[in-house]
Amino acid sequence: MRLNILDMTKEFGNHRVLDSVSLYLEDVRSLVLIGPSGGGKTTFLRILAGLEPITSGEIMVNDHRLSCSEEKLLEYRKHIGMVYQAYNLFPHLSALENIILPLTRVHGMTKRDAEDHARSLLKRFHLEEHAAKRPVALSGGQQQRIAICRAVAIKPEFLLLDEPTSALDPEYTSEVLDLIRELHEEGMDLILVTHEMGFAHSAADYVLFISDGGISAQGSPAEIFEQSENHRVSRFLDKVLKYTK
Amino acid sequence: MSEKNSLQALFLRPKNWQMDSVKKENVWILSVNVLLVGILLSALMWFGFSRLQYVFMWEHVWYYRINMINGFLMTIVISISSLGLSVLLGIFFGLAQRSRIHMLRIFSRIYIEAIRGTPLLVQILIFFYVIANALGLNNRYVAGILIMSIFSGAYLAEIIRAGVESIGSTQIETARAIGLTKRQTYRFVVFPQVITRVLPPLAGQFASLIKDSSLLSIIAIKEFTLAAREVNANTFSTLESYIPLAIGYLLLTLPISYLTGRLERRYRYET
Repeated sequence: MRLNILDMTKEFGNHRVLDSVSLYLEDVRSLVLIGPSGGGKTTFLRILAGLEPITSGEIMVNDHRLSCSEEKLLEYRKHIGMVYQAYNLFPHLSALENIILPLTRVHGMTKRDAEDHARSLLKRFHLEEHAAKRPVALSGGQQQRIAICRAVAIKPEFLLLDEPTSALDPEYTSEVLDLIRELHEEGMDLILVTHEMGFAHSAADYVLFISDGGISAQGSPAEIFEQSENHRVSRFLDKVLKYTK
Repeated sequence: MSEKNSLQALFLRPKNWQMDSVKKENVWILSVNVLLVGILLSALMWFGFSRLQYVFMWEHVWYYRINMINGFLMTIVISISSLGLSVLLGIFFGLAQRSRIHMLRIFSRIYIEAIRGTPLLVQILIFFYVIANALGLNNRYVAGILIMSIFSGAYLAEIIRAGVESIGSTQIETARAIGLTKRQTYRFVVFPQVITRVLPPLAGQFASLIKDSSLLSIIAIKEFTLAAREVNANTFSTLESYIPLAIGYLLLTLPISYLTGRLERRYRYET
C-alpha cells in the first residue's frame, strides 16, 4: 500500500487534533500506529478510513485522493475494510447476515453468491457453527472475528483496525490477533492501531508513534521499540510495558 | 412453628420465587390469594352500594343494547384508524426532530410540546370548532379520527425519537464504514431495531388511545361513551349504563396490556 500525506490538518471546532502531518510511505504491508490516548491516532485512522474529512492538506491512499465530499468518501470506503474496538456487528442480524449485508447492498452481489462467499469465509476461519447466531449469543472474540470476516469479505485493498482487541477479555485477544496475522500472511495489507506491543513488534513493517497531534517518531519496529532515542517514545513504552516483562 | 411457616407460605412470596417455574402448589397458593382479593373487593363494592340503596334496573339498559354495541364498534373503528394515522405522524415528526432543516425541527418540537402539554378536551374543542370549521370539514367522524391521530401522534413521535436515539452511534458509524448510504442505514440497520424496541410502548399508546377516544363524545361522535350517556339520559339508569361501559373498555385494554407485557419480555430476552 502507498500513502502520501501532505500537510494534513484536522480540527474539531477550535481544537486542532492533527497539525500539518506529512508522510510518504511506499510498499508498506502493515502499518502500526501506537501512542498515548488522545494523541490523535484514532483520528488519523478514521481519516484514512474515509470517515472523517480533513480540514486542510492532501492525502493519497493507493490511487485514491481523499476528498472532503461525503459522496466521494462513501465511494472510497467501499474499497477498504474497517474494524472497530467493539460492537461492530449489528445486533438484529445473525453472523451470516452481518457479512451478507454489505455484499448485497453495497457491492451488488446476488443473495446466493453473497451467502456462498460468506459461508466459505466463516468456514475458512472455523466460525461456520456460529453462522446463524446473533451477536448476543457470541463471545467478544467470536464477534470480533466475524466483524473481521465482514470487513475482508468485500475484498478490500487494505484493512483498518482500531484497537481491535482493547475491549476484549484477555483470553480472547490471541484468537483475534491470530486471525489478523493469518490474513496478513495471506497478503492482506493492514493499518492497525493497537496497544498490543508484542503483536505490533512482530507484525509491523513500519511503526508510527503519534502524540501531540503529529508523528513524533517513525521507523521499523526495531528502530522504534529497541533503539528509539525519542524520550516521548521511551517513556510511553516504559509505561505500557511495565508489567509485561 | 410449622403452623406459622405454612401461613407464611400461603401469603408471602419466598425470596427465591421464580415466575417461570410455575409449580402446582404455587398455582394453588396464587388462586387462594386471587380469591381472597376478589372477596375483599366485592365486600367493598357491596358496602358502597348498600349505603347508596340503589335499585338496579338492568332491563332498561338491555333495551338499548344495540346502541351500546354500535358505540363499542365505533370506538374500535376510531381507535384503529387513529392508530394507523398516528403511527405515520409519529414516524414523520419523530424523525423530523433529527432533521437538518431548522424549520422542520422547530415545527415538530412545537407540535409535540403543544399537544403533550394541553388537555385533550381543549384540543378537541379547538380543532372541531375552529380548525375543522375553517377547513370546511363537516364530517365529525373524520374530524374525530384526525384529532385523535394528531394527539396520539405527538406521543408516538417521542417514542420513535427515543427508539432511534437508542441505536448506538457505533452502529451508525459501522454502517458508514461498510459503505451504506444514509437511507440504507435507516432501512437496514436503524428501523428493524427500532420496531422491536418501540412495539411495547406502541401497544401501551394504543390502549391510551382507546380510553382517550371517550372524550370525543363531547362533539357528539356516537362512540361507546356517548352511547352510554344517551342510555343514561333516556333511562336514568346511571350505573347500569356506566358499568357496562367500564367493562367494555377493559375488554379492549386488558388484551393489549397482556400483549404489551409479552412484547416487553420478549424484547428483554433479545438483548
